[in-house]
Amino acid sequence: MVDLALFLFVMALLALALKRPFLAVLAYLYVDIVAPQKISWHLLASIPISLITFLAAFGLWLVADDKADSRFTLRQGLLAVLLCYVGATTLTADFPAEAADKWAWVWKALVFAIFLPLTLRTRLRIEAAALFMVLSAGSIAITGGIKTALTGGGYNALYFFVQDNSGLYEGSIISCVAIAIIPLILWLARYGTIYPRGPLVRVFAMALIFACLLIPVGTQARTGLLCIGLLGVLMLRTVRHRSLYVGGAVVLALVAVPFLPASFTKRMNTIENHQADQSASTRIAVWKWTLDYVKDHPLGGGFDAYRSNKLTIETRDAETSGSTTDIETRTVTDQARAYHSSYFEMLGEQGWPGLALWLWLQASGLWQMERLRSRWSKRAAAEGAGPELQWQAPLANALQQAQLVYLLGAAFVGIAFQPFILMLIGLQCGLWSYLKRWDEPVAARPVTVRGVVPASAG
Amino acid sequence: MVDLFALALSHALLALAAWRLVLRGDLDRDPPRG
Repeated sequence: MVDLALFLFVMALLALALKRPFLAVLAYLYVDIVAPQKISWHLLASIPISLITFLAAFGLWLVADDKADSRFTLRQGLLAVLLCYVGATTLTADFPAEAADKWAWVWKALVFAIFLPLTLRTRLRIEAAALFMVLSAGSIAITGGIKTALTGGGYNALYFFVQDNSGLYEGSIISCVAIAIIPLILWLARYGTIYPRGPLVRVFAMALIFACLLIPVGTQARTGLLCIGLLGVLMLRTVRHRSLYVGGAVVLALVAVPFLPASFTKRMNTIENHQADQSASTRIAVWKWTLDYVKDHPLGGGFDAYRSNKLTIETRDAETSGSTTDIETRTVTDQARAYHSSYFEMLGEQGWPGLALWLWLQASGLWQMERLRSRWSKRAAAEGAGPELQWQAPLANALQQAQLVYLLGAAFVGIAFQPFILMLIGLQCGLWSYLKRWDEPVAARPVTVRGVVPASAG
Repeated sequence: MVDLFALALSHALLALAAWRLVLRGDLDRDPPRG
């Protein structure tokens, strides 16, 4: 039944795309985030649905969509350079077979991130892309949130739709993404037009945010707790009543603590005492290994280069009884440990040039969103500014907050090429390009019939 | 059961959003700015 329903849902989206080509782009966003072919066991699992939706999105855009307002921005160029560079390191990778496996999905995610902004020509398309991303990721957050509320979850024990530990179905990744989408949920609830502002939308948004906040509790991913903390601080910048917000947050935290599972509290305590925690100590050892590795391999070792590491880790556990403290030291050996950090993932796999490109891509996004936020806040506050000038700055702000949450989570999880985040970057590029066009006088716009116009600015 | 509920709710909202988008004229072209 579920199998058939998911199949019909995707087919219906593709059928609607024949009338409105942009629906195929939304179908691809949905398929890439939810991966219904993993939930399905027959119909969708037996066809290359991701490839079909991508071809539909690109083909219909090429044939049937207007491209007069499409622009190619500097950040899309950065993504294209990164794609070529990553392709080159894959050819010379230390572990060619494993590198080819990762390349098989990374190139698709990068190509789609380059393509997405070309389709985001109207305000409604930008909103629709944000809504589909949020609802798709939200579907995983809803099931995870409810199960956490009912059972408390557990490390590596929270089961989403599938028994799978890849993509958004991995605990640390969904914890980071669930917190990153909260600013977008708030924006959609306030400025959305597909589901306009109202009591029902507000209730659903609050429930979805609550579910998102429960994901780090259910997965017991320490990264998620740090992401919640960062988002809480970032929101101080825009909330109307700061003291009320801070007071409310403190009360909420105090009320929530007794309800948290003991296993969650115990695991979170290891953030402070990382020397006793083998997982944390291993990470630090891998990061040190990576720094040594790039001394000999400054251009990186290609995807999965971490497989050559061999680590010796010393953990120390202090136990105090009365006036005496016993320190127990253990030596553990390990090998082929993953980076557990996007920064070190980029450094080890793509070397200094790859890391520099990736950081440039991220930093330019933060800078662009800050510029949009600043410019459009002033316009929104100007006398006589109508409702059509109110949504831009908050969206830039939400996309910046989402990216900052990701960048913190990325410090502890290897998600440098996570497709969802690359979509977020595509959305930023689309917003930047769209608002840049907003300022172009109509007469000054280049006249094109079918071609894509290169954008001069970043 | 929880999975079914989450799938049904999210997919119903996605489907309704898609249907609403098809009916919107401003999906492919922004309305003229005042």
